[in-house]
Order: sequence, then structure tokens, then C-alpha cells
Amino acid sequence: MPMKVLFTSVFGVLVLVSLGLRWSFPDVQTERPVIYWVTDKNPAREQQVALFHEWLVENGHVNDAGEPAVELRLDVANMDLTKQTIQSVSGVAGDLMDTYGPSMRQLQAMGVLTDLTEDAEAMGFSPDQTYAAIEPSITVDGRQYRYPANVGNSMLWVNVDALRRHGLEPPPTRWTWEDFERLGVAFRDAANPPGTAPNERRFFALNLDSVRLLRTTGLSKFNETLTACTLDDPRYAETLRAKRRWVYDLNILPTPEDEAAFASQQSFMGSDAQRFGTGDYALLEGGRYLLILFRRYPHLGDLRVVEFPHAGFPCTMISSRAVALYAGSRHPELAKLFLQYLASAAYNEQIVADADALPPNPAYTRGEAFLRPPAYPKEWGTHGAFVETAETIAIGETFSPYVLPTVVKRRREFFEDQFMFGLMSADDAAAATADDLNARIADELDRKPELRDPFERDRAAQEQIDRLKAEGRPIPAELIKNPFHLAYYRRTGQLSESPATAAATVERHAMAVTAP
Amino acid sequence: MSRRAARDRRRALLTGLAFLSPNILGVAVFTVFPVVFSLVMAFSNWDLTQHNPFKDTRPKFEGLGNFAELVRGWEFLRYFGNTLFFMMGIPVAVAGSLGAAILLSKDTRAGGGRPYVWLLASAGLIAGCVMLALAGTGQTAMVLLIAGAGCGILLLGVTGGLTFYRTLFYTPHFVAGVATFILWKKLYAQQTGPINVALQPVLDGVAGAAQAVGPFFTALAWLGVVLLLLLLAMGLRRLRQVYIDGELGWRAALLPVVLLLVPFGVAMMWGYASPYRAVLLVGGVAVVLYHATRLVRSADKFSAPSATEGFGSALMLALLTMVGQFVVLGLLVVAGNVPSMAGDGVLEAPSWLTDPAFAKPALMIMGFWAAIGSNNMLLYLAALTNVPGELYEAADIDGARPMQRFWNITWPQLAPTTFFIFVMSTIGGLQGGFEMARVMTEGGPAGATTTLSYFIYIEGFETGRLGFASAVSWALFVLVFSVTLFNWKFGNRYVND
Repeated sequence: MPMKVLFTSVFGVLVLVSLGLRWSFPDVQTERPVIYWVTDKNPAREQQVALFHEWLVENGHVNDAGEPAVELRLDVANMDLTKQTIQSVSGVAGDLMDTYGPSMRQLQAMGVLTDLTEDAEAMGFSPDQTYAAIEPSITVDGRQYRYPANVGNSMLWVNVDALRRHGLEPPPTRWTWEDFERLGVAFRDAANPPGTAPNERRFFALNLDSVRLLRTTGLSKFNETLTACTLDDPRYAETLRAKRRWVYDLNILPTPEDEAAFASQQSFMGSDAQRFGTGDYALLEGGRYLLILFRRYPHLGDLRVVEFPHAGFPCTMISSRAVALYAGSRHPELAKLFLQYLASAAYNEQIVADADALPPNPAYTRGEAFLRPPAYPKEWGTHGAFVETAETIAIGETFSPYVLPTVVKRRREFFEDQFMFGLMSADDAAAATADDLNARIADELDRKPELRDPFERDRAAQEQIDRLKAEGRPIPAELIKNPFHLAYYRRTGQLSESPATAAATVERHAMAVTAP
Repeated sequence: MSRRAARDRRRALLTGLAFLSPNILGVAVFTVFPVVFSLVMAFSNWDLTQHNPFKDTRPKFEGLGNFAELVRGWEFLRYFGNTLFFMMGIPVAVAGSLGAAILLSKDTRAGGGRPYVWLLASAGLIAGCVMLALAGTGQTAMVLLIAGAGCGILLLGVTGGLTFYRTLFYTPHFVAGVATFILWKKLYAQQTGPINVALQPVLDGVAGAAQAVGPFFTALAWLGVVLLLLLLAMGLRRLRQVYIDGELGWRAALLPVVLLLVPFGVAMMWGYASPYRAVLLVGGVAVVLYHATRLVRSADKFSAPSATEGFGSALMLALLTMVGQFVVLGLLVVAGNVPSMAGDGVLEAPSWLTDPAFAKPALMIMGFWAAIGSNNMLLYLAALTNVPGELYEAADIDGARPMQRFWNITWPQLAPTTFFIFVMSTIGGLQGGFEMARVMTEGGPAGATTTLSYFIYIEGFETGRLGFASAVSWALFVLVFSVTLFNWKFGNRYVND
């Protein structure tokens, strides 16, 4: 009998504790609907939430008591794609999710994101309200699935003082791989006198992304219709060789172990920014968001930004941390208000002030507040450069609908590592990458019959493109799905666009920059 | 039986079931169901991008498709190879556990043991560290820290005795895994990690010596070649001996012989071992031919009761010899390459976690550390207390030396425990490697530390292919089951041999 009492008591206590736990949930504690925003850990997010609540009141989205119609809460523990995947299919994902290009593609393929196209048009957060180049990153097959929280286009930050300290002048805004190598070697020699200890070495730049380097050769990971991987092109092998030469032969970029020696968990790129600030790196790849970190180092001298070094085709990659709406959200209409808020003046002006990359709407980059913030005169020459590249040479990310971006990244990096560590030649690594990814595309088509028809259509278009290329004739824009090729052919005069399409592009761009 | 008695019995049964139901329910829901469900998934095309509550399509049965893809692709075999590489450390880890258990069965406390030995050791350690610091190692703080910790451990051992040391050795087992991995990641840091900080002065010395006496290292490498051939000869000799004695059947001898030749096969394919290939090939063939000839000559002397007799003992001998051969092969390659590596007078400490050549050994070393102070050590400690004292007394009366006591009494008496530990370590080895790969290397560099368990995670949760990931899991299960069955069938014989 005492055992039964004990058992029942323990059971009762567990039930009470469970109820207590449930009562402690935020949505039980408040009478207002609660929505969750899955985002990164950043002090600015608290401010953005507070601003959203104010914006709701100002725009009349209030309840009977005059309070904001919805309570937004942060979830900073679930940004990882694997967590988002599992939570989404289990029906417990956050209402609003910060996503990057690859994660959006995967979640969209799973059908867990809400199609926002019509609502975005009606509520003012459609692709027209952001940079034209970002459109491929926020839409799939012409349907919109997210809206930017900020926009990043990659450039190279230059620590001018670090170069001048060693008798070197900063590079020009547009420069080639050869210029990069020449200045890098000069910096290496000047900044690392004989006898410099390994842990005191200075590097010209932090590691450069291979795909971005590759694009400057005029090549993309995929062909025009995204039906095949094109990394078996000699230009990819040459890109790999250049990168390895810069890392291991010339030591102008750090090796993985050099990077690991100073890596810390303090914050995103925190230690890199610190090393850039002290002149251990003369150049640092990144977007305008790095100013958040640079502003912590008041001793940091003159700053400039230059384009990515190119091998014939100057370009940069534009991407976005954008917010998507979970298809299983219990309050989708209220969550859409947050996306509307992202396009508002209140939010954009906050991004401008915080220097958290570029504001979603380029219209807010025209004023003095953006170009010349009074508190930071050293930055004045940099802000405008980001907008200019975003509107001229920036190209959106490339994703094939026939293979998941996570698979592409993993496989490509595997073979790149094989070459970088001397386990494979550059040509073999390039060929193996293409073979492997094309095999994955074939597997994907085997497994997903619904992809076969569009694939066949795209392949037919590809044959047409190949024929036109062989004949030296311009390629119709409507045949091209890869945003890189679209931009490449347009800029090199090989694109044939109907006057209506060209006019629409220009008009859309003009709308975006004059929206407010 | 009266109705009342039957009612009482039914009530008792229901009460019992009520008590058991949470556990039964828990096992059914969280163990049995997932296992059965994953078996079904392994034969389906379940892909999260296609089949989830937000999509209309349902997973389809696709027979052995996932398993066929496993065999067709290169990833499964590659990562299985990585897993096997890590498992090669199991014999060393088991030997370490046994060594630790034997050490911890001695009393070190003042009065019970020989405190002056420990005090002397502490004094020696301090003196050594001070000399190193004075000699300008440049890492005085690190040296003093290590010296201080070492002395503290020795002195606490003198006062606290066995309890202190046993607790200390068991510490790795109750420290959280992720914390341990992060700690080791810091230890392995190429430029700032304590391991390389301690190693670099040694490498500087080696580099200097390699420049001054390069031929010495070449000679060392050739000595390694001789040692490798000797190990092969000793292994084959032992196998021949037990074969002649009738304790080993011919069929049971095949696999052990092949295992002894595996390191030679690896040396033939390994680029770094190319200068020694010819000698190893000729020497290896000569050794094998010699033993084959001797065997044929003594063909009339043996009579094994069955063709599979003695497989367990022979396999254990071959496995241990093979691990030893690999260690010698690795060392001889290092010795042979040191003069060219130190060509400019510099030998840089390894990039443990970012170089594919070192990443696997680095994780393996960490595994030894964890395995030595694990439950295996406790099992050995318990088993050691069960070895009858009379056996040692009898050995002492017969004048047995410590090594003889170990090989003829301790080791055979521990055989059942060793067998159990090997079985469990093999299972753990095949299933393991996920946490350390995830935390320390993310499976890299160049996939060098991706094990099967990490591969399952990637396919299941990054790619969303739950059907395929389940197939990998079940392939892993079949491997684990086969190896366990093999161990059980032949390992038991070893125990009984």
C-alpha cells in the first residue's frame, strides 16, 4: 500500500510540474497572440522587436485595449537548418524564420514556407521593394517566399593604415587577380620580416570564397538552365590552383590552421574583425554589416572598400538574410504584418543607423543618414560603394532546382579540400565535382518523378542555348534560369531581350529606388 | 481457486501492470516503435522534401533501392573505412585500460606503498621543468603549469592513495562529451595549443639532428623495415607452432595469416613508403616462403582436431601483431622522411585537426585518453580482484618473474573480461564518432573524420533523406551484428582456449 501511495504521489507531482511548466509558457501568460521569430543572437534584434510593437500601434494594428495586436518574441536557439527542418515537418517551427538562400530553397522544396506573392504585392513587400539582383534569392519559379531583413553584397574591406604602415598604397576599386597577387606578395614581404613567429604572421586577406572567385572568371556552378554542373570547366581548376597558390605557396592568405589559431566563439567574424583592426589582415571580405564590429574599435584608421579581384568579369555576390513565414503558423495574418514592417521606413532607417548590411529597400540608401552618418566620418567613403555594386555588378545566388544546395555545398567542398590538401590534382577535383553533382542530379530525377518534365523542358532549352552559342548568336533571356548567366550575357552583350522585358526591368529598378 | 482468490490475483496483476506500464510504454514508444519504423523506412523512398505533413505525396516502398545506392556510391565505403581506421585503436585502448587497472590495483599511499618513490619523482619533475624553463623553452608558464599539475597529482596520490588515482583516472568518463571535445580542440590548436607548444622544441631538436645526422634517421627507417619483417616472422612462427602442436586448424589459420600481411599491402600502395617497397616485398615473400617450407617439412607432425580449431587465439594474436606492424610502419615512414622534411632546418608541429593526414590519428589519441579511464578500466579492476591469490603464490614459489606472472596467470584469468570489453568496444567503435566529428571537425578535413554515424546524420537531417539514412543505419546494424556474432563464435573459443 505505501508503494501505491508513493507511486500516486510521484505521478501527481509530475502532473503538477507539467502544468506549471505549461503555465509558464509566454503564450499562456499573455492574452495577446504570440508569434516567434527564429533569428540570430544579436542585440539589435531586441530593438527591432520593440520597434515592431511601436510600428503596430502607429499603424493601427491594435487590440481593444490599444495594445499591439500581436506579441513578437525572439527565438535565437533554432537558426540551424537541421533544427528548422525537423521543427517544420513536426509542426512546431517558429512563425517567422530567418533564412539564407540555401536554407530557403530547402524549406521551400519541403513545402513548409508560405507563398507570399499576392500578400506581398498587396501589403508592399514584394520583390519590387528591394534590389533587383536579390529577386532570385527570395523567389522560386516566380513565387515569393521571403522578404529581406537585410541585404549583403560582398566586397573587400581595406585597412588603409595597415597598408601604408608598410609603404603600400590601397588597391583600386576594380582590380584583377594579378593585381591582388602582386600587392599581396608585397604586403607579405613588408609585414613579415625574417624571423616572424608563425603565430605573429600577417596576411594580406582572410580566405576568399572559391565560388565568388570563380564567378569573376565568367563561370557559374551550373549551366544556363540549371540542369547540369559545369565545374569541369578549366576555369574552375584554375580558380582552385590560384587559391591554393595564394594560401600555401605565397602565404598571402591564411591556411585553415592559421585561421583556427585565432578563431573564437565570441561572435560572427568577431576575431577576424579584431585581427583586421590590428592590421594582421590588410583586407577582409564581407558586407556592410562588418561595420557593426569595426565600430567597436575606435582606433581603427581609414577604411575603404574595393571590389572582389576579378579574372575578366568583375562581379560580386548579393545575398540576403530574409524572413520567411512558416506554413504551419497559427497566426499567419499577424506574422505577415512583420514582413510589412520590414519594408517600412522605421525598420529600414534602423538598419541604416546600425549598419547591419544594406536596408531591404534601396530607397533608404539615398540620404545623408546612410551615406554620411555624422558619428562615423571614417566610413563615409564606404556606404555608397556597397549600394553602387549592389545595383551594378552584384548577381544573386545560383541554385539548381534539381539538387539541394546543402548537397552541392558539401560535395563541392569535399573535392576542393581534396585538392587543397594535395590528395587530388585541380583538374581531377574539378572533373570529380562535376561528375558527382551531375550524378546527384540524375539520382534526384530518379527519385522525384515530378521533376522530370520541367527538367526535360529545361534540357531542351539548354540544347537551344548551346546551339545559339555555337553559332555566335545572342541568347533569349527567357531561356535562361541561372541569374549569373542572365547578368553575364546582359553585360557582355550576348543577351537578346524583348524591348518590353528590358523596359520592365528598368522600370522595376526605378520603382525600388523611389519607393518611399 | 475461490472467486475471491481469483479476484485478488487479478487485482495484484493489474497493480503490477500499473507499476510496470510507464516503463513498458516508454520502451514500446521510444525504443521498439522507432526501431521497427526505421526498418520500414529503410525500404522506402522517404524524403523530407517530398513526404511530410505539408505535402500530399506519400512515401513509397522501393525494395532494396537504398541499399543498392549504398553499394553504388563512394561515400558509404569511404566513411566505413574511416570508421574502421578509428577502430584500429581499440586494442591499444584496451591495453591502456588494462595497464591503468593494474597500476590502480597497487597501493601508493604513504605507509602502504613507497612514498619516497613518489616524492622523488615529484622532485625530479620539478627539477626537470625548472631546467627546461632556464634553458629558455620560451613557454615557462605552460611548463610550470604542467609541472605544477603533475606534482600536485603525485603528491595527492601519496596522501590520498588509490582512491584519488582511481577517481582521477575515471574522470574522463563522467565529464560531458562536448566539453571534453572542446577542450581537446584547444589542446590540438596548431600554433597555440599546449600539445604543439610542448612538441615544437622537440621537433626543433629533431630538425637540427636530422640536418646534422641525416643518415641516422635513414638508418632508423631501415631498422623499422627489419622490425616489420621480424614482427611478420614472429607472428607466422607462432602460428606455425600452434598449428604443429595441433591447436590450430588450417582453415582457422587463413585469416590470421592474411591479417599479418595487410600492413605489407598498405606499404605497397602508400606513396610515403615507396623507398622501402622493394625490400618489404622481397623480405615479406622470403619470410612467408621460409615458414611455408618449414611447415611442409614438418607436415607429419601435426594433427589438428578440426579445421577451425584455435581460431580465436590466432585471430587475437594476428590482430595485436597487425596493430604493432602498423605502428612500426608509421614510425619508419616518419623516420625516413624526417631528413627531407627538415631540409630547411624547420619541422613544424602538425596541424592536428585541419590536416587530413593527422586528423584521424588526433581523434584516435583522444579516444585512447577517454577509453583508458572508462568503464573498461573499472571492469578490469573488478576482474583483477577476482584472480585467485593462490595462483600468484604458486608462481612465486616457482620463481616466476613479474612478466611471467602476468602472461601466465593475469592475462588468461582476465580473458572473459577482455572478450566482453572487445565485443562492447567493437560495437561502440562501429556506432561511434558522431559527437567528436560534429564538435571538433564537422567531418573534415576532406571527409577524413566522417564516420558512418555522422554520415547518417548528414543524410537524415541535412539532406532530409530519411529512407536512405535508415538504410545506412540498418547496414551498420548488420555490420555490428555480424562482427558481434563473429566475436561470439570465435572469441568465446579464445576465452576457452
